[in-house]
Amino acid sequence: MAQPAENDIDSDSLRRAAIDRSVKGPVLFLFTNAAFWLMASTIVGLFAAVKQVFPDFLDENWLWFLQYGRIQPAHLIALVYGWGIPVGLGTSLWIMARRTGQELKTGRSLMLVAAIFWNIAVTAGILAVLFGGSTSVEWLEFPKFLWPVLLICFLVFAWPMVSMFARARHPEGFMISAWYILGACIWFPWLFTTANVCIHCIGDLGAIGAGINAWYVNGVILLFFVPVGVGSAYYFIPKVTGQPIASQQLAKIGFWLLAALGGWSGMQRFMGGPLPAWMPAFGAMAGVLLLIPVGVVGWNHHLTTLGKHKLVQTSPSLRFSFFGALFYPVSGLIYALLSAFWTGANLQFTLAWYGFQVVSLYGFFSMCMFGAIYYIVPRLVGCEWLSVRLIRNHFWFSVYGIGAIVVTSIICGLQQGGDINDPEKWNLSFSNVVLNIRPYIVARAVAWGLITWSNVWFLIHLMLMVAGLGRRSTAPTLLPSHDHDDGLPSISHPSKA
Amino acid sequence: MSDNPQSFNPDTTDLDRLHPAVKREKADVESGTEQAPMWVIFLGFIVAIIAGGQLGPNVGGFDFNVSNPFASSRFPDPRPVDGTAGAALDPLQMAMKKGAATYALCGGCHQGSGLGVPGAFPPLAGSDWVMGGTERNIRVVLHGLQGPIKINGADFAAPAPMPPQGAVLSDQDVANVLTYVRNNWGNKGSLVTKEMVAAVREKEKARTAPWTGPELEPYAKAEVAAEPAK
Repeated sequence: MAQPAENDIDSDSLRRAAIDRSVKGPVLFLFTNAAFWLMASTIVGLFAAVKQVFPDFLDENWLWFLQYGRIQPAHLIALVYGWGIPVGLGTSLWIMARRTGQELKTGRSLMLVAAIFWNIAVTAGILAVLFGGSTSVEWLEFPKFLWPVLLICFLVFAWPMVSMFARARHPEGFMISAWYILGACIWFPWLFTTANVCIHCIGDLGAIGAGINAWYVNGVILLFFVPVGVGSAYYFIPKVTGQPIASQQLAKIGFWLLAALGGWSGMQRFMGGPLPAWMPAFGAMAGVLLLIPVGVVGWNHHLTTLGKHKLVQTSPSLRFSFFGALFYPVSGLIYALLSAFWTGANLQFTLAWYGFQVVSLYGFFSMCMFGAIYYIVPRLVGCEWLSVRLIRNHFWFSVYGIGAIVVTSIICGLQQGGDINDPEKWNLSFSNVVLNIRPYIVARAVAWGLITWSNVWFLIHLMLMVAGLGRRSTAPTLLPSHDHDDGLPSISHPSKA
Repeated sequence: MSDNPQSFNPDTTDLDRLHPAVKREKADVESGTEQAPMWVIFLGFIVAIIAGGQLGPNVGGFDFNVSNPFASSRFPDPRPVDGTAGAALDPLQMAMKKGAATYALCGGCHQGSGLGVPGAFPPLAGSDWVMGGTERNIRVVLHGLQGPIKINGADFAAPAPMPPQGAVLSDQDVANVLTYVRNNWGNKGSLVTKEMVAAVREKEKARTAPWTGPELEPYAKAEVAAEPAK
């Protein structure tokens, strides 16, 4: 110890305050806009789900832009490009700055401009989809000219993060969350450019175009949403519990296997289809192999939270991050089921794939992001979250909503796949296949209703915070440790509490 | 490491700036050094074996021109290449299923129930024409029919003319739809094969005009001789 410890802590505190101040503008701007898009996306998702049950819902002539074929893609691209990527960038920027111990020196105004242009591009793209200008390419429905705008805006955020990482000295050794975020910053531009150039610029690819599209969709999930979500969980779980990440070795295995396998996956979605057979086969292999990094990361998080389950109940950020981290293995398992030929052939082209997208985007990624937001925002705006009740509502409505979507989508996929594939049912008409999944669609509509409800309050809560109307208090907003008082089940396992 | 004052040693909080929000911020600690337990490696191997099982048998010989995962140089494509060869498995089932689809062409006039419309469109269900000889049936479908006829003893003095379907339907289609009509709605009739249709088409390839009832009378009981379906 060359310096007195107190000095060290003081200088550290000051430096961290400076770091927080330096990223405040872009991060809060991204968070607030993302929360808006999240609410828009869930409301549109609710409409889409209701429309699948009652096609007559909102079926007026002057509401032609609310056809199912337009609002379902609008719902998903709002979730991906409106909410997912901006909130991921905001969290990444904050974590990267904190983890590498560097202030954001330049480029803040450029970032704000990029964030504004990103939102303009997403707005224009979604309006174009609603008005019938969709390219009909999944997750790339935006009109063709918009993708360079989105790419440049992304790079404006990604480049400072990469250079922060490059400049950082690594006194603590392997900074796992920074590695994940670095990966996400590099992989997304690669995926996005490749997919757009192949599909929109080269064009006329035939069947392989669909394969590239599936590769892109799975790639964005596995190589952007997963690394950002896992990186954030790796940062906040040790941060809140005060425990070290249990095993550096497991963390490394989880990271490098994901990095190696993520880009191989995707085309198994068209197994048995008119692609060269080895492409879906490689996708299936990667999809199953991903169980290893996914399980290893889940196990590592489990070890890190061991003995700290009381904190999971009380701390909002840990509660959301823990739940998100819990859903990482769940989504990995679902992905393996969709990928393996034995089960995938049955789940192919069913709502189970939608279920996977929602569980990985919402159950896992978004929950991790909520945890990050509950942690970051008070530090940026200097006040505390207003209401325990709002946070608790947000948590439980999200959990029940997402749980219902996951369970019903998987069971629905099995039912749908059975109806389509079972040779005994050769004379079952397609409309009957659709009618048979009606109960699951109803459940999905209800679930989106719950999620919408939770998001409206989340958005209001966040906007109050950003407006500086939070609680001025010395005590953090913690949830009561016994939810049983409200008749709500507790998340922690009794034997581990 | 705390012995380096310059190092980023995240810990408590930004006490003054961020006031109480940060009171709960704990130190970043170095990752633990716990080794991956043996069973993790063991389970990893099991997953890898399953994943290999997805890859190995399904690559189709790494050929860009092979989309059938099961094909390889040693074991060629096991699926029938000729899409119609499946008919050999159960000709009647196959013909009934495909014929039902083709019947969409006929149902507009003869109705889904096969009962037709009295006076205009003759019935197919229980009709003596339909269950009679195959030759007359094939001719009607291939070239059409017009003028007065008598079905099940009932006179159709001016039925709507039956348009010829020979140009639209292949031999297989005609065979399928006739088999369907002859075995649906309680009808019981023999199978019509595409060879039988081809034989009639060949015999009458010069004909363009629709048939009339009297012209077809000689074929009322005639069965087309053809190779049985393979």
